[in-house]
Amino acid sequence: MSATVLALSVAHGVLALVLPVVLVGLVNRTKARWAGRVGPGIWQSGWDLLRLLHKKPVYSALSTPLFRAGAYVVLLASALGALIAPMLGAFAPLQFTHDFVLFAYALGLARLFLMVSALDVGSAFEGMGAAREASFSAFAEPALFLLIGALALATGQTSFAALVGTLHASALYPVLVVPVVAALFILLQSEASRVPVDDPLTHLELTMVHEAMVLDHSGPELAATQYAGALKLSTYAGLIAAVLNPFSPLEHPLAALLAALGLLAAVALAVGCVESLRARLRMRQVPRYLLLASLLACLSLAIAGAWGT
Amino acid sequence: MCVGTLIAAVLVLLVGAAACLLPLSNPLRAAIGILSQLVATALVWTMVLPVLLGGEVLVGELAWAYPVGTLRVRLDALGAFFLAWSLPMTLLGGVYALGYLRPYLATRRHVGVHYALLNMTALSFVLVYAGDHALIFLLGWEIAALAAWLLVIWDYTNQKVRFAGFNYLVSTHVGLMFLVAAVMILYTHCGAWDLGSFGTWMQSHPGAERNAVFLLLVTSFGLKSAFFPFHSWLPRAHAAAPAHVSALMSGVIHKAGLYALVRFVWLMGTPDEWMGWFLVAFSACSALVGALYTVGQRDLKRLLGYSSTENVGIAGIGFGVGCLGLSWNNPVLVAVGFTGGLMHVLNHAVFKCQLFYAAGAVYQATHTVDVERLGGLARLMPWTAASFLIGGVAISALPPFNGFASEFTVYAGLFSAQDLPVGARLALYVTGALLAFVGAVSALSITRAFGVAFLGAPRDAAARPPVEASRWMLLPMGLHAVAVVVLGVFPVLGLWMVQGAAGIALASLTGPAVQAAPVALADLAANLSRIGLLAGLLLLVVVLVWAWRAATARGSPAPRSATWACGYAAVSARMQTTGAGFSADFAERFRGVLRLVRRQKAPQGYFPADAWLITDCVDAVEHRLFDVIRHGDASASALSQKLREDDPRYAFAAGLVALVAIAALVLLVGGPLL
Repeated sequence: MSATVLALSVAHGVLALVLPVVLVGLVNRTKARWAGRVGPGIWQSGWDLLRLLHKKPVYSALSTPLFRAGAYVVLLASALGALIAPMLGAFAPLQFTHDFVLFAYALGLARLFLMVSALDVGSAFEGMGAAREASFSAFAEPALFLLIGALALATGQTSFAALVGTLHASALYPVLVVPVVAALFILLQSEASRVPVDDPLTHLELTMVHEAMVLDHSGPELAATQYAGALKLSTYAGLIAAVLNPFSPLEHPLAALLAALGLLAAVALAVGCVESLRARLRMRQVPRYLLLASLLACLSLAIAGAWGT
Repeated sequence: MCVGTLIAAVLVLLVGAAACLLPLSNPLRAAIGILSQLVATALVWTMVLPVLLGGEVLVGELAWAYPVGTLRVRLDALGAFFLAWSLPMTLLGGVYALGYLRPYLATRRHVGVHYALLNMTALSFVLVYAGDHALIFLLGWEIAALAAWLLVIWDYTNQKVRFAGFNYLVSTHVGLMFLVAAVMILYTHCGAWDLGSFGTWMQSHPGAERNAVFLLLVTSFGLKSAFFPFHSWLPRAHAAAPAHVSALMSGVIHKAGLYALVRFVWLMGTPDEWMGWFLVAFSACSALVGALYTVGQRDLKRLLGYSSTENVGIAGIGFGVGCLGLSWNNPVLVAVGFTGGLMHVLNHAVFKCQLFYAAGAVYQATHTVDVERLGGLARLMPWTAASFLIGGVAISALPPFNGFASEFTVYAGLFSAQDLPVGARLALYVTGALLAFVGAVSALSITRAFGVAFLGAPRDAAARPPVEASRWMLLPMGLHAVAVVVLGVFPVLGLWMVQGAAGIALASLTGPAVQAAPVALADLAANLSRIGLLAGLLLLVVVLVWAWRAATARGSPAPRSATWACGYAAVSARMQTTGAGFSADFAERFRGVLRLVRRQKAPQGYFPADAWLITDCVDAVEHRLFDVIRHGDASASALSQKLREDDPRYAFAAGLVALVAIAALVLLVGGPLL
C-alpha cells in the first residue's frame, strides 16, 4: 500500500466521520438563510449528538433486545456503505469488483433493522413510517443499479469507486453527467429523508417517514440512528461529488480533496435550497418522483448503450 | 463399488421405511426412520465426498432385463453437490417432525407412515441425482411426487388440505407428462435410455425438435420448481402441509427441477442463444411475481411458498446467464452464472427450511400462522424469533448471511459481461436492476412478516400464552442458522461445493478462451472471501457493540415506559400496524398482479354494533385459470364488448398494425425474392 493510498484512506475515513455533522449543519444554515435567520452553527448537530450520548435511554415496555441492537446495526451497516462509496473521486478504502452490490445491500441491511426496531415497539405511527420507508426504498432501488449499468457501459470499470470516479474521463461525460447527477440527487433525497420525499423537521406523526421510525428511540440509540441518517446524506453527496470531481485522487490527491470538499459543500447547499424553496410532495406522489430517478437512469443507460461503444 | 454403496443406501432406506410400518410404538417407528436415514446419509456421503473433493466421476452398471436394458448410475460433481445436502436436510426434517408431531406420538395415529414417506423422499434423491438412466430418473421423480403428496395430506380430515394435496398431485403429474413427452422424443431418436446418449443426440441435432424438447423440459421443470406461471399449486400445498414437509418440499424436493434443468442444459453442449434469453426472462418473471406476491400474504407459510417462486427465479437467472455463456463460448459467464445459480440453490435450501421450521413452531404454539392475529412472539419464543430473523435477513439477500453471497455471485454474472454486444449488456443490466427491486421487495415482506408476527404486542389475547418450541424443533433450526451464518461468513465454502459442477459446464467450451475461466473463478473466490471477511467483521462488531452497551446498562437498567402514540394513552393491541396496512401503499400500485380481496361489514347507524374488514391476497394466475375454465366464452365476449367497432381509435390502430405488418412482410420476403 503506497503512502498516497494510505493518506487517501485516512482522509476518506475522517471525512466520513466528520461530514455527516458538517453537511447537516450546512443544510440547516442554508435553510436558515433563506428564512432570513442566521441559523445554528455548523457543528450544532454534532453537539446535539454528544448531548444525546450522555443521556440515559428510555425503552418502550414492549421492546425486545432487538430494539437496542437494531440502532447499532443501522449505524455500522451505514458505515460499511460509506467505506465502499467513493467521495474523493475514483477512490474508496474498500474497493473490489462488483463492490456496489455490497454497498446497496449494506444500506439495505441498515434499512431493514431500522424498520424492525420501529416495529418492535408496536406503535401504529412507527409502523406507518416503516411501511413508507420499505415501499419508497423498493421504488428507489432499481435506479442505482441502472446507473451502475450506464456507468459500466461508459467507463468499462467494475468497482464502484472506479465506475463513479472515472466517468469524467469518458467521452460521454458531457451528455451523461446531467441525468446521472440528477438521478443521484433524487436518490440522496430519498435515502437521506430530505424534502421533497420526507421532511426531517415535520412535527406531525402522520406525515413522517424517517422521523416516525425513531419516535421511541432515545439517548445513545437515537444518536446512532440520527448519525446513520446523516451518514447516508454525506455518502450520497460524496457520490455526486465523485462524479463531478475533475481530478484523479491517486495522481493529484490534494487537488482532488479540495475539489471534493467544495463539491460536497455545493451539494449540501443544493439540498438546503431545494428544501427551502419546495414543499414536500404528497405521500402518494413520492413513488412517481422516485421512478423519475429510474427513468433518468434508464436514459443514461440508453445514451451509454447508443453511443458508448 | 459405486453401485454397491448406492444400492446399500437405497436398501437401508427401503428396509427402514418397511420397518417404520411395523406394529411398534410411534416413538420407536420414528427412531427407526431417523436411524435408517442417518445410515443412508453416511453411506451416500462416503461416495459424495470424494467426488466433491475433485475425485473421479463414479460410474456403475447393473444388467437388467429388456426393455430396461443396462441400469447406469453416474455420480458426477453436479449430482454429488445436490446429494450432499439433500439427504442431511431430509434427516433434519425427520428430527423436526419429532417435535412437530409430538401431540400425535402418544395417540393411535400411525406416525410410522409419515417416516416411511420421508425415507422414500430421501430414496428418490438418490435415484434422481445419481441415475443416468432415464427410467431411474423418472422413477425417482415419481416417487418424490407421490411421497410429497402423501406427506402434504397429513391432516387429511380437513377438506382444504385434501384439495391442496390433489391440486399438487394434478400439477406435478401434468409436469410429468411433459417430461415423459420429452423423454419419448429423445428415446425415439437415440434408441437408448441413458442421459449420455440423449446428450450426444442433442449436441448434434440443433433445430426444431431440440427446441421442442427444451420447451417441454422447461415446462416440466418449471412446474416442479414452481416457476411463475406454474406456481399456483405451491402456496396451497405449502400452507396445508406440516411445517417440515413444507420446508422439505420448498427447500429440497423441488430443487430436483433445477437440478434437471441444469443437467439437460449441460447435456445440450451448446444451447441456442434464445434458450439462454428465454431462461433469463422466464426466471426474472418468476423472481418478480413471486416477490410481489409475498407482499400481500397474511399466511406466513403461503408467504414463504411464494418466496420459493422468487428464489428459484433468482437461481434461474444465474443459470440463464450461464446458458448464454455456453452459447457464446464465454467462459466467464459460464463459470460465474452457473456458480451463482447453484450457490443460490444451496443457500435457499438452508434458509428456507429454517424459515418454515420457525413458522411451524409459531403454528404449534399459537395454532395460527395468520400474521394479523399474531404479535409479540419475540418475547415469548425468543429462539424461534431469532431463527426467523436470521433466515429473514438471509432470504432478503442481505449481508452478513449466506443469501447475500449467492446473490452477489448472480449479480457478478449479470455485470461481468464486458466483451458482449451492447444489446446483450443492456438486457443483463436491466435484469440486474430488476433483481435489486426484487431484493428490496423481499426485504419489505420479511420485515412485515417478522415485525407484525413477532414484534409489538399480541393482537389476539390467547387463552394460553405461546411457549418456546421443543428442543427437537429448535435443534434443526439452530443447525440451519449455523449453516446460514457459516455460509455467509465463509462464502468460499459454498463456492467450493459447486466448483466441480461448474467445471462440467466449462469442459464443454472450446477454443483458447477457456483459459479465462480459472481466472474468473479465482477472482470470484477472492471477492467472496472479501465479502465473507467484511460480513464476519460486521457481525463481530455488532455483537461487540451490543454486548458493550448491554454491559454498561446493566448497573442501572434503563427505565421503561409506554410506547409513544401521539400522547394517546388507552392504546389497544389491535391499534398496532397490521400486515395489510404495512403493505397497502406498495400493493396498491401493483393491482394488476396482486388481487386484494376485501370482505367487510361497514359500521351502520348511529350506534354501530360490530364492524369488520378482512383483506386477503388471492393468486391471480389461479383466479384467471378458474375464470377461463368456468366462463371462457363469456370473458371473450366481454373483451370484444370493450372494443367498440365505431371507435375511430381502434380503426386507426388496426390500420397502423396492418400497415406495419405489410411493410414487414414486404421487407422480409422481398429481400430474398429480389
